[in-house]
Amino acid sequence: MSNYALRLIAVATTLVVATGIGFVVKAQLIPDSFGKYGHYRANAIDEEVQRPIRHGTNTSCLKCHTYEAAIHLKGRHNTISCEFCHGTYADHVSNGKKSGTLPVKKNTEISTLCLRCHNTEIKARSQAVIKTVAMPQHLESQEVKLTHTCNQCHHVHAPLKYINRAKQITGLTEAES
Amino acid sequence: MKIEQAPPQLNRRAFIKKVLKGSVTGSLLLIYPMGGGDALDMLQPSTMPDMPEQIPGIRGKAYNIHERKFAFIVDITRCIGCGSCCVADKREYNVPDGYYRTWVERYIKDFDDQVYVDCPNGGLDGYQKPREDIDVQVRDTFFVPKLCNMCKETPCTQVCPVGATFTTPDGFVLMDSDRCVGCGYCIQACPYSSRFLNPVTHTAEKCTWCYHRVRKGLLPACVEVCPTGARKFGSLKDETSEVYKILKGPGVLTVLKEAMGTWPALYYLGARLEVI
Repeated sequence: MSNYALRLIAVATTLVVATGIGFVVKAQLIPDSFGKYGHYRANAIDEEVQRPIRHGTNTSCLKCHTYEAAIHLKGRHNTISCEFCHGTYADHVSNGKKSGTLPVKKNTEISTLCLRCHNTEIKARSQAVIKTVAMPQHLESQEVKLTHTCNQCHHVHAPLKYINRAKQITGLTEAES
Repeated sequence: MKIEQAPPQLNRRAFIKKVLKGSVTGSLLLIYPMGGGDALDMLQPSTMPDMPEQIPGIRGKAYNIHERKFAFIVDITRCIGCGSCCVADKREYNVPDGYYRTWVERYIKDFDDQVYVDCPNGGLDGYQKPREDIDVQVRDTFFVPKLCNMCKETPCTQVCPVGATFTTPDGFVLMDSDRCVGCGYCIQACPYSSRFLNPVTHTAEKCTWCYHRVRKGLLPACVEVCPTGARKFGSLKDETSEVYKILKGPGVLTVLKEAMGTWPALYYLGARLEVI
């Protein structure tokens, strides 16, 4: 065999081997499921699905807390999520058991929490959607001490519960739900 | 002195067998806890007895990713700026301080058509005080919750050099943090500023409309906690869903930055022209 032919075979072999190595390296570098739906890893979708759920629903909470459920569901605050004030379901329940204590606001903190939604000074919120109050004018008009916190008159889960009961007893006005 | 013979089970053949068995068992033990079996069980309704199905037709059925379509509607007229959604979002994803997957802006418009927008701490603390740094006669003021627009023509996925962000066949724009190199192109490309670079993982992050919840028949966390129903989410393939009815009805719906041709799946009800 001539020197020329040998050279040709060597070049051809190198090319074939290099291509082969190229394909192997490419297969190694491209992750599984890449390109199944597009230029991305389709498995990333399933990985996102498997992210742990941290917020439950009000039904999840009220299933055990039946005493609160009876009050909360009847009141005007029934659309408020338990977890907004009390922390997430995941932090409270693991493997079906209660763990940790949940933060519950006390004293002046509670008024701050209430005014987060009910402060009439924030004009951007529609009066048709939420009933707002001005402080301390509301306390003055109701003739209570200015140090009163909201939850001394308003039940946090059903804000009109005591108010309506008082109205019923005194017969001042028709009770509203 | 008598030299004891090695017991017959310790000859070369038995030794190799044992080593092989050991290595096979060992590698199986390494693989076993990684398996996706547990996660698949999570998808079954029986393991989530406490959480009722909020988006009908997902649990206990095969999820055909090509046949699903969802929409998000934000009703600006109902937003009271309480920030529940922002708090829920931060808790659901453990979002680092100073970064927001969703946030609530406050718009103020005066009689000279000037628009003032503020967003203290992304609305995470709610809006406790009126804006004090401007002295104008307020003509119109309202809250605008912001989140990922889930565009059909996504500027962010087009610029990603490594395929770390993508649009799923069911219309969600998601992130693959394993592939993300943190170059930040997508953050610059997003016209809605929905993305940020997570300072802990150094990868881009964004609102996913709680894809992990939706696939389990639950509403996104922000929709779940919204006390006034300002945030609405649902399937467009379900004619009984609230979003389907709103989209089909006569209400004026707008999308943000329509002229950019991004075709968002996030619609706004009651948005003024000034909202961008």
